Amino acid sequence: MSGTANVTELALRLGNGPSWAMVRTHFDIQAFGVNAYIAEEPGISVIEEHDELGERAGRHEELYFVSSGRATFTINDDEVDAPEGTFVFVRDPAAKRTAIAQEAGTTIVIVGGKPGEAFIPSPWERNAEGLVHFANEDWEQAVETYERFLEETPGDAGFLYNLACAESRLGRKEKALEHLRLSAEGEERFRHAAVGDPDFDAVRDDPEFSAITGQVDAPGAGS
Amino acid sequence: MSEKAYEVVHLDELDRFPVDDEGLLWRPVRRRLGITAFGTNAYTAEQGTERVIEEHSEQDGHEELYFVAGGRATFVLGDDEIDAPAGTFIYAEPGTKRGAVAAEPNTTVLAIGAKRGVPHEISAWEEIFVVFGLYRRGDKAEARAHMEKVLEKHPDAWQGYYNAACLDALDRNRDGAIEHLRRAIELDPQAKEYAAKDEDFDWLRDDPEFPA
Repeated sequence: MSGTANVTELALRLGNGPSWAMVRTHFDIQAFGVNAYIAEEPGISVIEEHDELGERAGRHEELYFVSSGRATFTINDDEVDAPEGTFVFVRDPAAKRTAIAQEAGTTIVIVGGKPGEAFIPSPWERNAEGLVHFANEDWEQAVETYERFLEETPGDAGFLYNLACAESRLGRKEKALEHLRLSAEGEERFRHAAVGDPDFDAVRDDPEFSAITGQVDAPGAGS
Repeated sequence: MSEKAYEVVHLDELDRFPVDDEGLLWRPVRRRLGITAFGTNAYTAEQGTERVIEEHSEQDGHEELYFVAGGRATFVLGDDEIDAPAGTFIYAEPGTKRGAVAAEPNTTVLAIGAKRGVPHEISAWEEIFVVFGLYRRGDKAEARAHMEKVLEKHPDAWQGYYNAACLDALDRNRDGAIEHLRRAIELDPQAKEYAAKDEDFDWLRDDPEFPA
C-alpha cells in the first residue's frame, strides 16, 4: 500500500550493531529489495561483511547510498571513503563488502536486485519478522516466529540460532542449548557468534555452552 | 562498461540534465553506475521552489520508492499532501498519483523503481531523456550525435524517429523534422496523432509537407 515513513521511525536497534530500517517489508515492496542501516556511534559496522553468494544471500547487485554521516567501505581489498551523498554500487555478487561508520548517525540506504530475474526477497530477509520481536524484547513472540520458520525450513541454522537466543532470554536453558548446538552443527560461524552474544548470558556458565562454542575467542555478535 | 566489481560516485559528480525550463535537474544514477536490476535516478531542485518530481501515475506496473536525500519537499500521494524532510521514504504503488515540489534550496530526491514479478528492463526513454537534457543545457551538437546513436540502436522503433523529429523541430530544422516524422508515422500511425497535438511542431503545422 502506498505510504510514507522517515528512516528514523523505521529503525530498530538490534543488539550492539546498527539500527535496521526494514523498508521493503514495511511498505511490502515486491519489485526490489531496500533497507537502511543507522550507526548511532562511530566505529559501528554499519554494513556487516558479506558477499551475495551464500545460501542465505540473493546474488543481488547492491547499491549503497550514504544518506548522512560518513563511512569507510572495504570492498575486496579496497578501502573507500564514503561521505554523505556517496553511492557505492557493488555489481559483483562475489565481492566481499563491509562498511564502518565514521560519524554518529551514519545512515546507509541499500537497494538490491538480481539482474535478469524477477525480484524475490533474500532468504535472510525472512529473519526480519522475528528480529522485530527481538527489538521489542518480546521473546515469546520471537520463539513462536522462529518455530514457525523452522516448520517451513527445517534445520535452518540461522533460524535455530535466533530461536536459541530467544529461549535463552526466557530462561529455557535446555532448549536454548539444544537449538544452539544444532545451529552450530549446521553452520560453524554460529559457534563463534554465540561467544560474545549477550542473548546467551543465561547459559554462558553452563559447561554445555562451553562445549558447543569450543571456548573459542571471537568478537561479539548480536542477534 | 567496465566490469569492475564495484563503482563509486558522489551525488555532486552525477550528470545534471535540465528536465524543463523551471530548473528541475535529472541526475542519472542507474545509467552512470551500470545498474541493471532496478531503475535509480536522482532529481535536484536547486532554487527550492520548483517541481522535483513530476506529477504522474505509473501505469506500466512499476513500483516506485522515493527517498528525500537532501532538503525538503512537499509530496502529493493520492489525495494526501505530505511534508517530507530529508530521510523520508515515499512509496507509491502502480497507479497512485504522485509528485513533489521542493520546499528548500538544493532538494534532492532519489527515485527507485522496478516492475514486480518480471526482470527489470532498462527503459529506452533514458537515452531520449539524455538527448533532450543535452539540448536544454546547450550541448546541441552532442544532443544530435546522441540522437543518431539512439536511432542506430532502435532502427524499428517509431518513438526514436518521433523524438528525432521533435529535436529537429526545436532546432528549426524543417527538412529533418518532416523526414523523421514521416518515418515515425510509417512505423506506427499513432505518431501522427501525437504530432497533431505536440507544440514542438506548431511552427511547422502550416507547411504543406507536414505529415500530421
